[in-house]
Amino acid sequence: MIEFRQVTKRYDSDHTALAQVNFSLNRGELAFLTGHSGAGKSTLLKLIMVMERPSAGEVVVGGQLLNRLPRRQIPYIRRHIGVVFQNHQLLFDRTVFDNVAMPLEVMGASPRDIGRRVRAALDKVGLLNKEKMNPMQLSGGEQQRVGIARAVVNKPPVLLADEPTGNLDPELSADIMNLFTRFSQVGVTVLIATHDIGLVNEMDRRTLTLDHGRLIAGGSSPLQGAAGGVSGH
Amino acid sequence: MATDSRRKADTARGAKTGRSPWKEQARSYFDHHRKVAKDSARRLWKTPVGTGMTWTVMGVALALPVALLLLLTSLQGVSAGWESSARVTAYLQLEVPLEDARGLVDEIRTDSRISDIELVDREQALAEFRANSGLEDALDYLEENPLPHTLLITPDERSRSATGVEALVTFVRGLEGVERVQVDLGWLQRLNAMTDLLARAVWALAILLAAAVILVIGNTVRLAIESRRDEILVAKLVGGTDAFVRRPFLYTGAWYGLGGGVVAWILLQLSLWWLSGPIERLAGLYRSDFTLVGLGLDGVLALIIVAMLLGWLGAWVAVKRHLDDIEPGDIAGG
Repeated sequence: MIEFRQVTKRYDSDHTALAQVNFSLNRGELAFLTGHSGAGKSTLLKLIMVMERPSAGEVVVGGQLLNRLPRRQIPYIRRHIGVVFQNHQLLFDRTVFDNVAMPLEVMGASPRDIGRRVRAALDKVGLLNKEKMNPMQLSGGEQQRVGIARAVVNKPPVLLADEPTGNLDPELSADIMNLFTRFSQVGVTVLIATHDIGLVNEMDRRTLTLDHGRLIAGGSSPLQGAAGGVSGH
Repeated sequence: MATDSRRKADTARGAKTGRSPWKEQARSYFDHHRKVAKDSARRLWKTPVGTGMTWTVMGVALALPVALLLLLTSLQGVSAGWESSARVTAYLQLEVPLEDARGLVDEIRTDSRISDIELVDREQALAEFRANSGLEDALDYLEENPLPHTLLITPDERSRSATGVEALVTFVRGLEGVERVQVDLGWLQRLNAMTDLLARAVWALAILLAAAVILVIGNTVRLAIESRRDEILVAKLVGGTDAFVRRPFLYTGAWYGLGGGVVAWILLQLSLWWLSGPIERLAGLYRSDFTLVGLGLDGVLALIIVAMLLGWLGAWVAVKRHLDDIEPGDIAGG
């Protein structure tokens, strides 16, 4: 679903954010992306969302090569990628419902359709009874769940999360991780950037580790690794 | 379980949209337009002072050239009216006797370009002059009547153009016994030249003020864009196309235009009402039926449509300049 081939991203001539990163994530796979601050986690996520373009190498999402995707096409790619942010990026001038409805609105869904799907998404994160509230009235954990509902409301095949548990206590974090696990079980590819090592260890999932722009662990997918092992014998 | 029911619902929807996806798509597109238009209008309504000021600025800038255009149209109406009543005056030579003058009248009357001809003989002319000029005493000193017989020729309707009158003058001048032909079109030509000049000045002014309107709206919309930065970022993040992100601001511009057009119309009606009395009196003094023509229904509609287009254009300039700058590049932290 997501594939990086020898991806390098240089911002200036001297600052290399990512260097020859190789990995691929399958459909329904849940993986963590860890590394010290400035290791390139954000850059990697931005490349998937086409906020940035690679300096070299290829980024493929859903079978589509993003390198030379025309600017006009970017919105249509983003509709297939749900994103959850640490600061959740909710809009406080509208209700929870309207926040979650945004991805459907940009797609031009009908109001009836929007109503049904927004409620389904809110139901999934357990906030169905708060749809008419302003996000400002909600707790941090609830706000984060609204952000998750917005990210998955149009059922994207890819879900990215940038420090989704950054401001939450361990119990709420576990809740959120459970949500992500359930999404991956229905076929969504989930990539979670975090530096919460405790959480990563607890979940025991594939972990991509970045260090100064280089992928030092978790690079090859488990399937590919197994295949390589067989051919080696 | 929840996912299961959702999946079922989804396939059901898929079947339904499959039947007429185009219709469904078009309907939700227009629904969205209506929603955005309403939302943009509501936002303007929420800041009545700022909106009112923008409307007024736009109204004044629009009312000024339109008022001048109306004045110009009225003036052109005047000159057209006077042109139609142009008369050619032919003075005969002093020694031409009255009988010959009558013969000349009969001869000219047969010309198809003439609708009416009147002979004013010298005695009658002197009597009129004596009555109107106030020079009675001076005239008493003269030994003989200094005035010739005069022909007052009214051209036929088809010959009332500048060239038609010109041709007629040449014809009359060529007749025997005619001393001098006068047609008082000089001042009319001057008026025409002046209105032509005024027309250009008004158009230049109109273009300048239209540019001003575009800039004012552009700047106002730029501020609106700044204040809705977060919303734009999120819309772009979740896959909003450029057209989607632009739409509310373009509607905002059009609403500013609508309000500006209405204000301009009100200003025009007010000044028309305020000026109509004095203008009537002035026109009465000149024995003219000159009136300031107001905007008709067509004119009001045109004014408002042009105003909305200008507002839209202003918004477009701002959107083009500033919306592309807002990219969700630095939204993802850490």
